[in-house]
Amino acid sequence: MSEQNRILKGIPASPGIVIGRARVLSDLGDFRASYRLLFTEEEKIAEIKRFESAVDQAHADLTRLKEKIAAEFPEHTHLLELHLLILKDQMLYDEPLRFIKESNLNAEWALYRAFERVRELFNRIEDPYIKGRIQDVESVYRRLLGNLSGKSSGRYYYSSEPLILVARDLSPAETSQMAGSKVLGFITERGGKTSHTAIMAQSLEIPAVVGLDNATREIIPGDELILDGLTGRVILSPGNGVIKKYRARKQEFEAFKDAVTRSSSAPAVTLDGHPVQVLANIELPEEVQLAQKYGADGVGLYRTEFLYMRQPRMPTEAELFEDYRRVVEAMQPRQVTIRTLDIGGDKFISRLEYAPEMNPALGLRAIRFCLREQEIFRTQLRAILRASAFGQVRIMFPLISSVQEMRTARELLQAAAQELAEQDIPFDPNLPVGAMIEVPAAVTLCRVLAREADFFSIGTNDLIQYALAIDRGNKMVASMYQPLHPAVMHMIQQVVAAGREAGIPVAMCGEMAGDPLHIPILLGLGVDELSMNAMAIPVIKSVIRQFNLDEAREMAAKALDMVTVEEINDFASQKMSERFPEIFRFGSALAGIQ
Amino acid sequence: MHGKHQESEPYEVEWEIWVENRLGIHARPAAQIMNLAAQFDATLILEKDGLQANTRELLALLALDCPQGTRLVIKASGAEAWQAAQALAGLFARKFGET
Repeated sequence: MSEQNRILKGIPASPGIVIGRARVLSDLGDFRASYRLLFTEEEKIAEIKRFESAVDQAHADLTRLKEKIAAEFPEHTHLLELHLLILKDQMLYDEPLRFIKESNLNAEWALYRAFERVRELFNRIEDPYIKGRIQDVESVYRRLLGNLSGKSSGRYYYSSEPLILVARDLSPAETSQMAGSKVLGFITERGGKTSHTAIMAQSLEIPAVVGLDNATREIIPGDELILDGLTGRVILSPGNGVIKKYRARKQEFEAFKDAVTRSSSAPAVTLDGHPVQVLANIELPEEVQLAQKYGADGVGLYRTEFLYMRQPRMPTEAELFEDYRRVVEAMQPRQVTIRTLDIGGDKFISRLEYAPEMNPALGLRAIRFCLREQEIFRTQLRAILRASAFGQVRIMFPLISSVQEMRTARELLQAAAQELAEQDIPFDPNLPVGAMIEVPAAVTLCRVLAREADFFSIGTNDLIQYALAIDRGNKMVASMYQPLHPAVMHMIQQVVAAGREAGIPVAMCGEMAGDPLHIPILLGLGVDELSMNAMAIPVIKSVIRQFNLDEAREMAAKALDMVTVEEINDFASQKMSERFPEIFRFGSALAGIQ
Repeated sequence: MHGKHQESEPYEVEWEIWVENRLGIHARPAAQIMNLAAQFDATLILEKDGLQANTRELLALLALDCPQGTRLVIKASGAEAWQAAQALAGLFARKFGET
């Protein structure tokens, strides 16, 4: 029995609160293959049998799991199918058998040697995605080793009682087994917020805490514990008072979550009838489904770098068009805002003659790169224009820092449109063209830029970095990265005012737009559209629906009068906790912000 | 077995193809290739830069490391060499059904 109410802290990976008893999974990673030489033919035959029955057992177990999951979560069965194929692969099946027969090795060591060969082979793979499949091979290897040891029949956790799993690490396949099981939640020592396991936990809606050091040593099997996937806290041997408190918190969270998700596809309109567009940021065409699931009013930022990073050659116009068209058609009749290539020359070293830059954030990237490499730009512009014939498309240029850049980019777009017109290829001749406002120079010039653009989109991630001169990846200064910094607030106000004056809409597509805490102030400042990670959409919409625009304006005006970021942060938090205690407590966790 | 080029093998079909699907030959396409190969009375080999993988071996196919844009040669021999190669080329052309 641990001491009462001991608190461990990890990374919250999947929101929710559960209370239950711990099941600590033994670590198959520490199973060491033993080494033994076989001397007689009989020994060899027995060893071959032992290996084959370990494989048969794994096959039966995996098949059973697959069938169990197929009923409820068919999309997760492919992992288990893959493991079944690996199980019978020549490299992991025939090879160990050969080692037993020809090198007189015991089954464990034969398997170990075979696995090491596969690992070596995969080490040479360059494609990160294909290379990553070694995890699946390893998972099968560990399962077989576990079966051979006879001590454990793999890592199963069938239980008639609800339980909380604790393990050093869980593979995505192991996580998928939790679907429809008695597992209430899980805790791992490894992993981060964006690991496969965390993402799967979110999709299965199983609360999880990851990255909790020493969890398997600190937590004793059978211990009662509270897992808080909202804060990353794990409370060991909670006392009655604490349990009571968390039961109430759990109920409140679940009620909040239900209320927020129920109405996520309805438009977000303030109490006094002012509609606000809440849009999704996406990168892959597949993410459209996620955007729709969470009720996006459109795509406010479609990042287009993926196809350029993914392969050693430049994508063709046809490939780009194909991707864009899919997104545009799927979102129809809602709007899709495509951002042109936001990439640095350094990413193209292998293909173009660019030296690595000392300071890439201030280097040849985004629109600067595209205006230098006009052939690459032209190909993308044609693809975007062609996609515009299939729905509601807007185009925007990243990192605009001067009027001249905006003009040149528009001229190139015009030229591409002219070409298409001559070739009788359809496109939308009224395609709105936007400038991204993410360089302080663009803020200073926003009144003149507003005459050159059909809309603005404020990219807060870069704008904050450049305005405050803060590299968020640098731990020494990361805490000074403050979205509500007075300088940032005044910049936003200036951009909105310029948009109003010119009669063009002002959008925001940085992370700032997806944090519930910032929403009242952003509304009050007059931002027309907010674009964010799809997961944040339901919460943000619910905040908007509970506010009066007048109240938001008052808040923004007060915040603009404050001179320190500490004051503004306190003010925003206090207001939020008074007006919307639930959103203040749970909103950020549900929106995926930490 | 994934290994060196074998000069001696006489192939009836040798076709050049390109990996066109977005994610390359990852787990699912590799499994599709295996399923297809099992349906023909033929030895079906994929070759990249002189390295070969038998299409009946999942890990060998993965280890060939074929992201989008990779150039491959289909080599086939046996009674149904032609049909098998044609079916395999079709699978690549349809981008393994990835949409």
